[in-house]
Amino acid sequence: MLEGIRRVGVHEWEVPVGYVPGMRVAGRFFLSESLAKTLEPGAIQQLANVATLPGILKNSLAMPDIHWGYGFPIGGVAAFSIDEGVISPGGVGFDINCGVRLLSTPLHYRDISGRRDLIDELFRSVPTGVGAKSPLKVSSQSLEGMMVNGARWAVGAGYGVEHDLMRCEEGGFLKTADSHFVSPKAKQRGIPQGGTLGSGNHFLELQVVQEIFDPDAAKAFGLASGQICCMIHCGSRGLGHQVCTDHLKILEHATKKYHITIPDRQLACAPVTSPEGKAYFGAMAASANYAWANRQIITHTTRQVLSKMFGIGYEDMPLIYDVAHNVAKIEEHTLDGKVSKVCVHRKGATRAFGPGSRDLPADLISIGQPVIIPGSMGTSSYVLCGTQVAMDRTFGSTCHGAGRVMSRTQAKKNLNGRQIAANLLKEGIIVRAHSENAIADEAPGVYKPSEEVVRVVHEVGISRLVARLSPLGVIKG
Amino acid sequence: MSFEEISHTADVKIHASAPTLEALFSETFRALMQVMYGARQGGSVIRNIRIESTDAESLLADFLSEVLFVSEVESLVFSDARIRIDGLYLNAELIGESFDPVRHSGGTEVKGISYSGLEILHDANGYKVDIIFDV
Repeated sequence: MLEGIRRVGVHEWEVPVGYVPGMRVAGRFFLSESLAKTLEPGAIQQLANVATLPGILKNSLAMPDIHWGYGFPIGGVAAFSIDEGVISPGGVGFDINCGVRLLSTPLHYRDISGRRDLIDELFRSVPTGVGAKSPLKVSSQSLEGMMVNGARWAVGAGYGVEHDLMRCEEGGFLKTADSHFVSPKAKQRGIPQGGTLGSGNHFLELQVVQEIFDPDAAKAFGLASGQICCMIHCGSRGLGHQVCTDHLKILEHATKKYHITIPDRQLACAPVTSPEGKAYFGAMAASANYAWANRQIITHTTRQVLSKMFGIGYEDMPLIYDVAHNVAKIEEHTLDGKVSKVCVHRKGATRAFGPGSRDLPADLISIGQPVIIPGSMGTSSYVLCGTQVAMDRTFGSTCHGAGRVMSRTQAKKNLNGRQIAANLLKEGIIVRAHSENAIADEAPGVYKPSEEVVRVVHEVGISRLVARLSPLGVIKG
Repeated sequence: MSFEEISHTADVKIHASAPTLEALFSETFRALMQVMYGARQGGSVIRNIRIESTDAESLLADFLSEVLFVSEVESLVFSDARIRIDGLYLNAELIGESFDPVRHSGGTEVKGISYSGLEILHDANGYKVDIIFDV
């Protein structure tokens, strides 16, 4: 382990106050010894930097997929007091509400194994990659609907069913959205991209439920062994990117105006209750809603393809759940025995609310929130369940994915996209992408092993393993 | 005068160096286009942009953010930029062509220009900078 870091549990480590000047609280992160081998000093520096921000509560936290990002580390979680704390785009990132959802189907492994035509049809139907435009004609009015009502707008416009909304974090939209704080430039970028996947680590993947760890939770979530599911990973596209860019500028001025000292310009912030903080919060929430609407539209396209090719009904493909990975939200958490509203930032982390949480639908309230953890291209993805331990220890949060270990530069230098696709095909996994680089960039070897990351969160208790899914076919940008 | 991608786990980190500030901006601009669209050349479409900022680093981040915006909303791929910097004002003439999915799909979208660790250094040999693109 890196110098200056103290072990405080089997998988738990502390970054003491004083690791960087000005820390108000200690940093805490969760990591196994084997994952610790790839821990970067830059990520710990960023975890410590977050601890210097005003009004931070308990600890600056990081999940076992922690790695070096900008502002917060990836895998970072921090909650701030509403009265004395700040909100920062550095704790959310450019891709606001980049998130993931899992759609179930009535299909089985034998129905789709080796069906390249299905992957081709999905690749044709869901716009992916750099420069991809949506076939939808999104009007200004529809864009407003996306920003204000998120997935609820999409369902109202015919892109889903009411049940989908019960299976989204926050019901698929943040009520605090205020589109007045979304610039005309951001709106201009949002209009042509509704229903597009994007590029980089975004993907749509067909998976088979390979292993069930918790039969009761799996049944409640709607998962059965051998069942085919579809995982969709994308965010708020250019609209969210522009909102982050615009508000970083405003918050840079605010940081000076409110005399806040920050160790990294990307941590520009303002008091949660200040006009600048509220403006960012409103625009960020509008972007989060756009992302939920976007994932809902892609879900609709996927259901149409599956419906056409397999003759299955729309209602036979219920949504398992949809979670945000990059977001700041006002949530209620218990601090020193008292329930308080706090501003939680999750940057590459997933909400993992335990049983009894108010945001859960009635049929899941005794189980806990489904948590969707994507693996990398050739490796397993997992469904987990939120826990009371997460409520007590991490503001109801857990990991969000495998976490990178190899840079994109190295990946492109060392790995050959065509060879990787051929190797995956030998394992029965079909890959479609616009370029070989896109495959090399996201190859299985560039990520931490997903099974090790979820093992750690399961053993720490901040979420519980429910099921493992293996990839069968993937489309990438 | 050059730029190179240096290892960064999650994103793309570019190290650029050049004899003048204008040339440094031009290098980071070329890096941005290469990351997004892969190799590209020529074109006859011209767009002019003007930026005013509070310091040299913000001027660079704002310039590249504006390039991202124009490139995306107008579906343009730029290959060259003629840049003039006067204090904290920048004028740039961008030269490029329309996005062609066949020739320009070799890259990855850049989501934003990060301020993390952004510092333009100046010594007797010229200017240099490390800049992170979120991808």
